[in-house]
Amino acid sequence: MNGWIIFILLIALMFTGMPISIALGLTVLAFLFFLTDMPVEIVSQRLFTGLDQFAIMAIPFFILAGTFLTHGGVARRMIRFATALVGHLHGGLAIAGVFACALFAAVSGSSPATVVAIGSILIPAMEKQGYPKKFGVGVIGTAGCLGILIPPSIVMVIYAVSTNTSVGKLFIAGVVPGILLACILMGITWAIARKRNYPRMQRSSMKEVWVAYREAIWGLALIFVVIGGIYGGVFTPTEAAAMSAVYAFIVAVFIYKDLRWKDVPRVLLDSANMSAMLLYIITNAILFSFLLTSEHIPQAMAQWIIDKELSVWVFLLGVNLILLVAGNFMEPSSIVLLLAPILFPVAVKLGVDPIHFGIIMTINMEVGLIHPPVGLNLYVASGIAKMGLTETTIAFAPWIVVMVLFLLLVTYVPEIAMWLPNLLYNKAP
Amino acid sequence: MFNRLLNNLEEWLVAGFMATATLVIFAAVLHRYTASVSWIWQFTRHIDITWAQELCIYLFIWMAKFGAAYGVRTGIHVGVDVFINRMSGGKKRFWVCFGLLAGAFFTATVAVLGGMFVWRMFGTGQVSPDLELPMWIVYLAVPLGSSLMCYRFLQVAHAFLRTGKLPAHDHARVEGLDLAAEQRT
Repeated sequence: MNGWIIFILLIALMFTGMPISIALGLTVLAFLFFLTDMPVEIVSQRLFTGLDQFAIMAIPFFILAGTFLTHGGVARRMIRFATALVGHLHGGLAIAGVFACALFAAVSGSSPATVVAIGSILIPAMEKQGYPKKFGVGVIGTAGCLGILIPPSIVMVIYAVSTNTSVGKLFIAGVVPGILLACILMGITWAIARKRNYPRMQRSSMKEVWVAYREAIWGLALIFVVIGGIYGGVFTPTEAAAMSAVYAFIVAVFIYKDLRWKDVPRVLLDSANMSAMLLYIITNAILFSFLLTSEHIPQAMAQWIIDKELSVWVFLLGVNLILLVAGNFMEPSSIVLLLAPILFPVAVKLGVDPIHFGIIMTINMEVGLIHPPVGLNLYVASGIAKMGLTETTIAFAPWIVVMVLFLLLVTYVPEIAMWLPNLLYNKAP
Repeated sequence: MFNRLLNNLEEWLVAGFMATATLVIFAAVLHRYTASVSWIWQFTRHIDITWAQELCIYLFIWMAKFGAAYGVRTGIHVGVDVFINRMSGGKKRFWVCFGLLAGAFFTATVAVLGGMFVWRMFGTGQVSPDLELPMWIVYLAVPLGSSLMCYRFLQVAHAFLRTGKLPAHDHARVEGLDLAAEQRT
């Protein structure tokens, strides 16, 4: 009974358009004041202690690193490197765009940031080369999704925090699906480009590739700092995030010199703004999930689903549907914070691997990012291309189908996600 | 005048916390790895930096509380605005104000609860495990940040009623990228 009140209140408050964090907080307050005799002091303490975990602090660090990278010329050099490698194929610039998105995703933890970094350079360039605008927007906007699938990933950190799973394992599990998705996108781009005869570029000589590689090496090295550092046990994920923030700062200011000293405070402030918004939702979501747990709601739901004797197959299909619907209303971090604590216990009881479940959620969030009404990639891409939202949506439509198929593939073939972490972590002493 | 001062203070605090936290963790990691170089270790092993994690967490909590207030001013806190955006005129005005006032109400409540909590903490004299900071100072972030946020919500609501404009965060705008696009050729 109480469970229904909580959810109806939350949904009603959310649909009035107030910030999600406020809707979560007010639900908890209303419940505590009117429906239970739990001491209200818990709220004020939880507002502080909820954030008191070192793992959460990876989020602001990754955001800071990402902002430095978007401002600095890292993206531009990665694009040049990718173009030198694959530019001579059919639709070379578009394929290079997907490739560059994958590279940038490996140093940045956010999808919209990836679209901004790569798209603001490549979407105009593709138009100049004679690609239809729609095609460019669709390809780059979708490839930007790789940002949260290829580690590091802010969405994965949030999932790990709200379900107590290992950030490192999740990151590793994202590698294979990420590369697979990048290959699928590149393959489709190539096939379309060949059929429609999109421009090819001149093949680069080995020397040009080498020069482009040497230029890009500072950005590419960051991939090894993050993944190598975490997997090799050199850093914890949070430390790796802090190191990559410092590294990105040094590269942007001292090596590439694309960022002037006087811009640094602005970068700090922008990152802090974004991080604080996420941390504020996280605080209130932790409060909310504390309320759910104290009312035994996740357990009750888990029991209900188990009593229904749903198979794992049906359960995962249901999860995907719920998440896709939620993707129509909220942005990824809020969805994960809200639904992971509820769905996770059921998934575990049914024998779904926590890491695999995290990857499924992440890919779901990617789909949510590229369709209206709240897909951030969509908005960012339409902003860069100066294209109307309806047109942008049409441009994304075929890619949404691709993403949903990919989602089903990863959902029902767990090996894609689990192969690498099983290989690495089971052999480790 | 008061607002300008407050804006500046808020921005400097938030950016400062962010930078300090990053440097602290960077220093702590470096310090740990100096242990493998014996001649440096001779100098660095006396430095105790075990408090770095705790300090980082506290800095970020402060950053989060004040940054959330700054976020109200920049319009970064978004909600489910699918329905509101379809409305127009008086109806939209009403729901936008409702959202903003709900924000003000929630943050005010939290500020009061947080204040009471800090007051009790002050009585216990509890200190943090590593830094041995009095906990009531650390917890002060909750009432202070929340009060500021409440003030910001009221400010935005006031401005909205007067001019009909809301601050909006543009995710596609990144300074310095136009420059990058020009240099590309």
